[in-house]
Amino acid sequence: MSAILEVRDLHTQFNTLDGVVRAVDGVSFDVARGETLGIVGESGCGKSVTALSILRLIPPETGRIAQGSIRFEGTELTTLSEEEMKSLRGHRISMIFQEPMTSLNPVLTVGTQIAENVVRHLGVPWAAARERAREMLDLVRIADPGRRLDEYPHQLSGGMRQRVMIAMALSCDPQVLIADEPTTALDVTIQAQILDLMLELKEKTGTAIVLITHDLGVVAETTERVVVMYAGRKVEEAPVEALFEDPQHPYTRGLMRAIPRLDVEADAAGGRPRLQEIPGLVPILTKPIVGCAFAARCPLATDRCRSAAPPFVDRGGGHTVACWEVAR
Amino acid sequence: MAVVADDLALPARRFSLLTAIRRNPTIAFGGVLLAVLVVMAVFAPLIATHDPFKLSPVNRLRPPSERWWFGTDQFGRDVFSRTIYGARVSLIVGLSVALISSGLGLALGLACGYFKRVDGIVMRIMDGLMAIPSILLAIALITLARPGLGIVIVAIVVPEVPRVVRVVRAVVLSIRAQPYVESAIAGGTRNMKLLVRHVLPNTLAPLIVQSTYVCASAMLIEAGLSFLGAGVPLEVPSWGNIIAQGKTFFQIAPWTILIPGAFLAVTVLAVNLLGDGLRDRLDPRLARRL
Amino acid sequence: MSAPPVLAVEGLVKHFPILGGILQRRVGEVRAVDGVSFTIAKGETLGLVGESGCGKSTIGKTVLKLIEPTAGRILLGGEDVTKLPPGAMWQHRRRIQTIFQDPYSSLNPRLPAGTIVGEPLENFAIARGGETVERVAQLFQRVGLRPDAMRKYAHEFSGGQRQRLGIAKALSVNPDLIVADEPVSALDVSVQAQVLNLLIDLQEEYGLAYLFISHDLAVMRHISHRIAVMYLGRIVELTDKRTLFARPLHPYTEALLSAATAPDPKRRRQRRRIVQGDVPSPAKPPPGCHFHTRCPYAVAECKVTAPPLVEVAPGHHVACLRRPVGGDPGPLPVPG
Repeated sequence: MSAILEVRDLHTQFNTLDGVVRAVDGVSFDVARGETLGIVGESGCGKSVTALSILRLIPPETGRIAQGSIRFEGTELTTLSEEEMKSLRGHRISMIFQEPMTSLNPVLTVGTQIAENVVRHLGVPWAAARERAREMLDLVRIADPGRRLDEYPHQLSGGMRQRVMIAMALSCDPQVLIADEPTTALDVTIQAQILDLMLELKEKTGTAIVLITHDLGVVAETTERVVVMYAGRKVEEAPVEALFEDPQHPYTRGLMRAIPRLDVEADAAGGRPRLQEIPGLVPILTKPIVGCAFAARCPLATDRCRSAAPPFVDRGGGHTVACWEVAR
Repeated sequence: MAVVADDLALPARRFSLLTAIRRNPTIAFGGVLLAVLVVMAVFAPLIATHDPFKLSPVNRLRPPSERWWFGTDQFGRDVFSRTIYGARVSLIVGLSVALISSGLGLALGLACGYFKRVDGIVMRIMDGLMAIPSILLAIALITLARPGLGIVIVAIVVPEVPRVVRVVRAVVLSIRAQPYVESAIAGGTRNMKLLVRHVLPNTLAPLIVQSTYVCASAMLIEAGLSFLGAGVPLEVPSWGNIIAQGKTFFQIAPWTILIPGAFLAVTVLAVNLLGDGLRDRLDPRLARRL
Repeated sequence: MSAPPVLAVEGLVKHFPILGGILQRRVGEVRAVDGVSFTIAKGETLGLVGESGCGKSTIGKTVLKLIEPTAGRILLGGEDVTKLPPGAMWQHRRRIQTIFQDPYSSLNPRLPAGTIVGEPLENFAIARGGETVERVAQLFQRVGLRPDAMRKYAHEFSGGQRQRLGIAKALSVNPDLIVADEPVSALDVSVQAQVLNLLIDLQEEYGLAYLFISHDLAVMRHISHRIAVMYLGRIVELTDKRTLFARPLHPYTEALLSAATAPDPKRRRQRRRIVQGDVPSPAKPPPGCHFHTRCPYAVAECKVTAPPLVEVAPGHHVACLRRPVGGDPGPLPVPG
């Protein structure tokens, strides 16, 4: 499998009143053709900014890609003109967001919005684009797609709107689909439907998916490889089974122990075992972090962790981890 | 012993005048301009080069010169001195209208936002008041009483109050729906305290912003009323009066109109800039951005 | 004779009017809560779980008397507070406190944290002056905050710390019951664990009862003793948590459990049975059993008869026509 998207040493920064925020601080990863890569982390870890950087959607008034390279099918995206990026977005790389209501135009019908995207990128006649829109709605299993084409976003439920977003994102057969918390705003039963749909469509179309989420359950159920981020940095990367079976980084381990679980049997008395806490808080990103970003909260941290950033150690089978203690 | 969770509390911001100006250039600019005008109005007797009321038929319609900085009018009165004194009228009208309508507006707005029964009645009355043009009201009031500053202020306040009431009411309604107000109620906080501690402080920011706009519009309306002869008595040097009296001689003595006109424009601009700046600063949604 | 439950709710109904037209006439109603009954004993956590629009938050607010119920009764420690006007309700507020979901908007941005936490103490004249400060300092310490943070404002705290402030405030008047509406759903996983542990510790220390409202089944299973599953304004299943997760009887509970994701990639290949379609609007709930439109086991009668919540086994209440008293608790056969 060859990489379709290569992110190397990405640094994305924002200027704020409190100083420069290093939202993404040297992140590298690859996305192979047709694979599902999960990027997981807590709020403020830089996972969404990474996605926006790939699509060059960082608002130029406040933020910029300070350093690094993003190559898509061999083309360097960081230096492309805005016009060239526009023809790429929604066509070769597309994105779906957490809240579908805000990413759909409320005054245009669903069909018009999908068809416009098709016309813009593929240059087909309007009638063909409408037909494509109908096919797409059918593909995402919206019942009676012919009628739904002429409905407005507010007439649809949250789950349906997310289906429409997926239909629109896939309407031009993208190579990569970036999904930023696509099911976070949805109810449990609807979330399950949407996740299944995304996986099924991936099999059908061969589109690679970059799934960004804070939810370890969603990652476990949908992805093949996972990148764990903390404070703007990648701390661990592994195939999904390896990550959940044998997490290496103290942060990843901490996260796994901190979540209440449904799949592990509670003790017989129906008692409530204590959850493992990760003490302390995420570091403030306006100050440059010396050493390992997790050192301040890590039970294993030594002086070396606080003074020098740990290198990535290969644990075999594509499992790499940035930790001095694991390296030892 | 519980884990102390605030090891890494967020840093507090230091206040510095320079960064304050850099972040809020409009407030700084509008504020300084307004401060200069206020100083001018307060110390008018010291600044004025001539007696603003003294007629001097010999020196009629003199153009600006070293002796008469802004020239003289058709009665030979010094336009510079009159303009300086005119700032008093504008500022008094602007500030008193802003203060009175904010006070009334706040009281009525709080009542409307807080008590459903009051709301229906008061808001309909406010709609009615809003329909009264201040110019007609001023003319009507003058026919009843001697013209003067008081009449002008009343005539402007009446249609301005409903605007303030609407703003305050909307803010109160939105604050009442805030979880922290519900949380306070659930914590046993009773009506009066709820109003004073939780609702009132949060209405002040939008009220201050609204009152700057009221102030600016009051100054413009005052000038308009004086220009039409429905404002302050003719002999009082107000910018509207100076312009009104100068209009007949506009072609040969344009300074009698242009200079007080420019002062009026700059004052209104200063107040509006201050209002815009405060709005951006006090609205947390806007302030969070750069 | 045993003590009355901390909270008893009987046949609670809350309908919100839908206004329409120029004259703002009532054109319909949202049946947010449609006849709900439950009790909470001292020291117990009752979980209310369900998807958005099921009425779980409305129950929380009605029980707190932040909104007036349309019908039904609310009993606090055996005393009927349903019809009490705000003035008379006030003295009962000491017994029932609340923690809100959003740690950002539930703290007044213009007050220092110490004042917010100490407000209920002042309101009920439990402490005054220096005594209040001392009590607040103790509360800060108890929830894991430094007492010198009392002078800080809400925006100077992180999300988890704000939630601790909310807990300290609720705790200040020694209530019997705390209504916690999604208290951890806005928090990150690592912080969520801290807050859940704190809530459990406090419960054991003070014998608190919780009405814990959440959409998250894993959190629910962790913290609750008994769980009520809600669907469109009604409780469809109510039992202790072990039974609920081991032997769910209502098809909707089964659907919820099967749809939940688990952080274990080995489980993904087990095909999940997923209910199709969306939750119907609470303004137009389907007749009969509200769930029949999505239920794989629905029979003709489900479309007409609303099933009552009945105790099919000791302590296990289910509202499903296909789960009669003494019926087979095994898997339901899918009709025709």
